[in-house]
Amino acid sequence: MARWGMVIDLDRCTGCQACVVACQVENNVPPAGPVDAARGRAISWLRLVPMQSTGPRGTRPALQLVPLPCQHCGRPPCTRVCPVRATQKDEEGFVAQIYPRCIGCRYCTTACPYTVRDFNWRRPEWAAPLERSLSPDVSVRPRGVVEKCTFCHHRLQLARDRARAEGRPLQDEEYVPACVQTCPALAMSFGDLDDPRSEVARLGRSQRAFRLLEELGTEPNVIYLAKGEWGA
Amino acid sequence: MPELERQDERLFAPIARAGRGFWLLAVVAGGLGLAGLAAWLVQLRRGLAVTGLNVPVYWGLYITHFVFFIGISHAGTLISAILRLSRAEWRRPITRAAEVITVLVLFFGMGCVLLDLGRPDRAAFVLLHANFRSPLLWDVASVTTYLTASTLYLYLPLIPDIALLRDRFPGRRWLYGPLSLRWTGTPRQHRILERAISVMAIVVIPIAVSVHTVVSWVFAMTVQPMWHSTIFGPYFVVGAIFSGIAAIILAMAVVRRAYRLEAYLKPVHFNNLGLLLLVMSLLWFYFTFAEFLTTWYGGDPSHLAVFVSKTEGRFALSFWTMVIACFVIPVALLASRRTRATVWGTVVASISVEVGMWLERFLIVVPSLSVPRLPMTAAPYAPSWVEWSLFAAFVALFVFLYAIFTKLFPIVSIWEVREGRERSVAEVSRRVESYLPAEERAP
Amino acid sequence: MGGAAGTGLRALFASAESPIAPPRGPEREVLSVCDLCSGGCGVRVRMVGDRAVRLDGNPLHPVSGGRLCPRGQAALQALYHPDRPPGPLRRSGPRGALASFQRATWDEALDAIAGRLAELRRAGRPEAVVLVTGGGGAGLGPRVARRFLSAYGSPNDVALHRGDEAAAIALALTQGVRAVPALDLASADYVLSLGSALLEASSAPVHATRAFGEFRRGRPGRRGKLVHVEPRLSITAASADEWIAVRPGTEGVFALGVAAAILAEGLHARSFVAERVLGLEEERDAAGRMRPGLRAVLERRYRLEEVEAETGVPGDVILRVAREFSSAGASLAVGPRKGPLLPGRTSDHLAAGVLNALAGVVDAPGGVLVADEPPLPAWPAPPQTVSAAWRERPRLDGAGAAHPLLASDPERLADAIREGAPYRAEALLLLEADPAFASADPDAFAAALDTVPLVVSMGSLPDDTALLADWILPTSHFLERGDLHTTPPGVPYPVVSLARPALPRPVNDARAAAEVFFALARRVAPDLAAALPWRDVDALVRFEVDGLFAARRGAVMGTPFDEAFVRMMERAGWWAPGYRTAEELWTRAHAAGGWWDPFYDHGDFRRVLRTASGRLELRADLLEAAPAAEGAEGTLALLLFEPLPIAGGTGAELPFLQAILDPGHDAHWETWAELHPDTAARLGVAHEDWVRIESPRASIVARARVTSRVVADAVAVPVGLGRKGGGRWASGVGANPLRLVERARDPISGLPDLAATRVRVARVAAPGGRA
Ligand SMILES: Nc1nc2c(c(=O)[nH]1)N[C@H]1C(S)=C(S)[C@@H](COP(=O)(O)OP(=O)(O)OC[C@H]3O[C@@H](n4cnc5c(=O)[nH]c(N)nc54)[C@H](O)[C@@H]3O)O[C@H]1N2
Ligand code: SF4
Ligand code: SF4
Ligand code: SF4
Ligand code: SF4
Ligand code: SF4
Repeated sequence: MARWGMVIDLDRCTGCQACVVACQVENNVPPAGPVDAARGRAISWLRLVPMQSTGPRGTRPALQLVPLPCQHCGRPPCTRVCPVRATQKDEEGFVAQIYPRCIGCRYCTTACPYTVRDFNWRRPEWAAPLERSLSPDVSVRPRGVVEKCTFCHHRLQLARDRARAEGRPLQDEEYVPACVQTCPALAMSFGDLDDPRSEVARLGRSQRAFRLLEELGTEPNVIYLAKGEWGA
Repeated sequence: MPELERQDERLFAPIARAGRGFWLLAVVAGGLGLAGLAAWLVQLRRGLAVTGLNVPVYWGLYITHFVFFIGISHAGTLISAILRLSRAEWRRPITRAAEVITVLVLFFGMGCVLLDLGRPDRAAFVLLHANFRSPLLWDVASVTTYLTASTLYLYLPLIPDIALLRDRFPGRRWLYGPLSLRWTGTPRQHRILERAISVMAIVVIPIAVSVHTVVSWVFAMTVQPMWHSTIFGPYFVVGAIFSGIAAIILAMAVVRRAYRLEAYLKPVHFNNLGLLLLVMSLLWFYFTFAEFLTTWYGGDPSHLAVFVSKTEGRFALSFWTMVIACFVIPVALLASRRTRATVWGTVVASISVEVGMWLERFLIVVPSLSVPRLPMTAAPYAPSWVEWSLFAAFVALFVFLYAIFTKLFPIVSIWEVREGRERSVAEVSRRVESYLPAEERAP
Repeated sequence: MGGAAGTGLRALFASAESPIAPPRGPEREVLSVCDLCSGGCGVRVRMVGDRAVRLDGNPLHPVSGGRLCPRGQAALQALYHPDRPPGPLRRSGPRGALASFQRATWDEALDAIAGRLAELRRAGRPEAVVLVTGGGGAGLGPRVARRFLSAYGSPNDVALHRGDEAAAIALALTQGVRAVPALDLASADYVLSLGSALLEASSAPVHATRAFGEFRRGRPGRRGKLVHVEPRLSITAASADEWIAVRPGTEGVFALGVAAAILAEGLHARSFVAERVLGLEEERDAAGRMRPGLRAVLERRYRLEEVEAETGVPGDVILRVAREFSSAGASLAVGPRKGPLLPGRTSDHLAAGVLNALAGVVDAPGGVLVADEPPLPAWPAPPQTVSAAWRERPRLDGAGAAHPLLASDPERLADAIREGAPYRAEALLLLEADPAFASADPDAFAAALDTVPLVVSMGSLPDDTALLADWILPTSHFLERGDLHTTPPGVPYPVVSLARPALPRPVNDARAAAEVFFALARRVAPDLAAALPWRDVDALVRFEVDGLFAARRGAVMGTPFDEAFVRMMERAGWWAPGYRTAEELWTRAHAAGGWWDPFYDHGDFRRVLRTASGRLELRADLLEAAPAAEGAEGTLALLLFEPLPIAGGTGAELPFLQAILDPGHDAHWETWAELHPDTAARLGVAHEDWVRIESPRASIVARARVTSRVVADAVAVPVGLGRKGGGRWASGVGANPLRLVERARDPISGLPDLAATRVRVARVAAPGGRA
């Protein structure tokens, strides 16, 4: 059984945010207006987190932008606390969200140390005819439930269906999430972390590999590659 | 009417008729209740967007009030049980007033959780798809158990009084008849009742302790900064008892004044409860100090960020108000007998404690969420009118339901007072005697 | 009772679900070309029934490589924007408000406009018609419009600047080639960015970002280093290995300081400089005048201590950069283009050119390349009906007169229209152009429009300028039309991208701009129709592809393997096209996304050095320019920048883009002003306070962001918000700092100098009650 995971190379990433918009378009995320945005209610399954630090001499700051999807933790603090099992970890590494079951208690959102879960504070709206751009593959979430990055799980299902219809096994590269697909810097890769020959497994073995807030024991399936040195 | 029946006439008076005060309260509570209902309908229709909540402050007043109300519920049952088991004779006039608080306020505590749900229409899923690994489920289980036990614990000592009422108000037989369980006051009935009460008193203590421990675990089981703490269980229980005692004092003071029960609720009761409040204040301070010192000394950056937001950042005003209200004011008022033995002294201390404990609950829920581990713009949380109206409605309805209870049942346990008068005085003096060295009798 | 309550509750919660009808019908994929900026990315649209539900890069397309930028990803929001006009709109009320417009039919609109144009022509005043083109893409629309105008007989073909002019002029001055330099980032080892928005609003953002990924991690064992020099920690600076904070306006000084150090230490590419470069020492130019030598100028004016003092950068850093730059394989210096509206100073581009010349990376891998024009056929000459006298009429904007290298001068045009001199403008046709918002002097343009009797605005969403027009003609979104796009600026090889209409019919009653001009031509005069002899856009595309076939070079877009094969063959002098007929080219190019020629012949100096001397001329004479004047007491340097999502003055109309204006601040939906903590403290401004930014020309209000991402004594403000038009999401959001810019001209190119303005900043209460 595959363990799907993502590698994000911070040395390639330019902070362009194509991944952010790609995710919103792919997953029927409703656009928010200025008021909701100012109140921290704009839904975005993927954000760029600015980690600003003052330089070694304390004068020149550095800014590291970190694309932050759900980490699809191996030991997710979010699923444990859900009273109705509306968010669950499956054996392929996905931390899934079951919208029709979620009661909107937002316990998972407070328990996630990465703050990547969004809540539908109101009913999502699309000013006509914007709703015509919605994807048929992803359900539109109702008001009152929690949502988050799914690793574009529907794309796996579609790829599987296609492979099955054509009577052949699924190839790793057939399943690519929307953010990974669009990243112009090729900073994101996706695949089976348990397959030692996969691109992500290879990158994951890099000296530069690290995971966010690993000390919390969450065992994320998103691996970052730190910025390198010149020539390294 | 036999002599005995007339003896505690003052305790029957509120039941016999409702005064102007009651109707005034009904109007005010009804108004606030309707406003709350309107707010709730608005929230149901438009979603939690009508609150001040946001990302990352996913929880706010509703959860604060959940913790606050469940905390207050520790007043009644727990205190009463402890006093019963320790045979504190001064408890007799106050246990009922305390126990009612528990039962009523628990409903409002659970109501707060319901208010907080994005999809209250799916509340039943908690039972249908229960995940027992979730502390929220533990909460559901323990609060339900506590509510059941507390109701029973309130009801058992009510039975003899209901029988009195049944005989006294034939017009309300439909209510008192079935509830009195054919109580006639035979010695056998008394034996069974007292047995049951003692069993319940023992059972109810661990349940009560578990309830607020589990409430604390909702927070402590996560890895979030300044939530993930081992002392949260006892810290919450201490806080609960603390705010609970203050609530009893306030309820007693109101009842005493409204129904002219000065003969029953005496300064000594206020003095004794005030002493308890003083002890809890010291304990609360101890826990708070321990919690903040370890956080500060440990210096884990994500914890420290929350610490700083409380002590000198955005929440500093609330934080220091809390310290003054929960510690400085009550200790100042209650340390001296001169203020403690007065009704006003304990009442002022209790109001201060309730304000402080409300702030404490708020400061537990909100700051940890306001300073997430990974940097992101955290829009400040400001509760909306919907959240405040629902709080006002809950408080008003609680007071009103409490008043209705006093209109249906005696708020001071009549039979227990009488029992005290008739049996305990002698019993206690015998008990006290038994503690002492046998008196050398003159030959 | 319980049942009733249950029903009520159910009714309440029915309102939780959004009633959305999913698309129905068969799925298909259509190839098109994004034109939301000049990047020219080939895209692939996923259609379900008649709806477009997803846009991704076309993997075979050499520019996008299957990738897109956030604007491209948000393109469906532009397609289905709720404020696209239902059809042509005619103004019936006062100028300036959308409410003044009424629906008209295309026939009414075209008849009215063509009628007026025909009248002017009959009256012998064709020059009174002005065409202003803007927009990002290089599709057929503007080309047809230009042909229309020249056949009509007007010289007033004015293109709004799109940010590449300063670099292009610098290239023309030194290499004698009129082209936007293409920087081979992907093959470079060391890039010194002189305040450029290399990784933000470059002319081809996806192409540049892909190249950056390759530069950093695409070549095993060879990681490129990016050093960014700017007073502000931009998003590009954030990706850099090193951010060197210079004083405002001294990027060029820094570059010349580095050049001086390289020369002083003798680290320059000696053989290249000796063979191909003119002007290191004092020399006589083609006209026989003596020009100072670069070495002398650098020694005189850019000594280490002086550069240190002027830029605020420690001398050892300058020396280190000089040594790194001259020792690291292919080193490339990039001039200060900050976006389509901010070309940067020509002198700074020249300074970057000096470094590239010293590093010897001209027309070399990892260096400055010049793209070949795609071999498209010349359009048949128009019938000679336009009178010779008309040809003599001067342009209204006088472009080319004072500054020979300047092709258009929109700001001068605004003045000329207002002054009515040298003659009155009677009709203004704007194609995807919004000068009343996005130009160096938006207010002057808005005022100028008032004096023109007929203003026609063509665009897919009514912009600020459209609100001031008499007619709004809705043009199609790129997914609604077939098109042919030529090489995007900054891409080093010729590309011809082909687009098929994705939607079976436009969302509203919009038309392709090319079709609008075809229709106008037919209505104005037969000779105009003959100048555009194609039935429709399809016929024109076919004509172009036939010409492409005849050129006998290049290939249909393909996989990297195909690309390598074509390169190899062409290097060996072979051409293996994979198509035998023009028809086959047409079919296969449409199926792949277009045609290109991946072969680049490095070191073809006859092609890329076309100066009189045949060498790269350093033009030290132009570099002696005086240092930036000190600002008045209490003023701050105004640093403008263009966030990628709203670069070029468009993008704010899409909510997904408003939400991501600057990931470093998590800024969205408002204009902000970055102030250094020391400066903010001096001004008594706290983080998130509202401030008024005031220049002698105008003042705007913005939200302060107190940050060490900007140097002291400067205020950095993003361009792209503060629009009146642009639909519900753009209108009234933020403020337009271009209004602050003082009229100043770049002395070398004559372009507007947008970096010379100084402003005062003060705290104010929240604007309009919105806190
Ligand atoms: N994968 C891998 N693992 C190995 C080995 C291997 O070859 N490959 N080799 C093994 C061997 S042989 C060894 S010896 C160990 C070495 O393992 P470590 O002892 O962990 O060696 P270092 O990585 O050198 O880390 C030493 C730390 O000391 C810090 N340090 C440097 N100077 C000083 C100082 O003056 N004072 C103080 N207080 N700190 C200082 C450094 O910054 C660094 O953090 O690794 C073993 N592990
Ligand atoms: S990142 Fe957060 S939401 Fe995602 S699996 Fe981990 S804890 Fe859960
Ligand atoms: S919000 Fe939904 S998913 Fe999250 S814990 Fe509550 S029920 Fe579970
Ligand atoms: S994997 Fe899919 S759902 Fe997750 S961030 Fe990327 S695009 Fe969004
Ligand atoms: S698309 Fe790629 S380069 Fe752009 S922000 Fe996302 S990860 Fe970084
Ligand atoms: S770079 Fe330009 S052309 Fe390419 S996707 Fe982005 S906006 Fe479209």
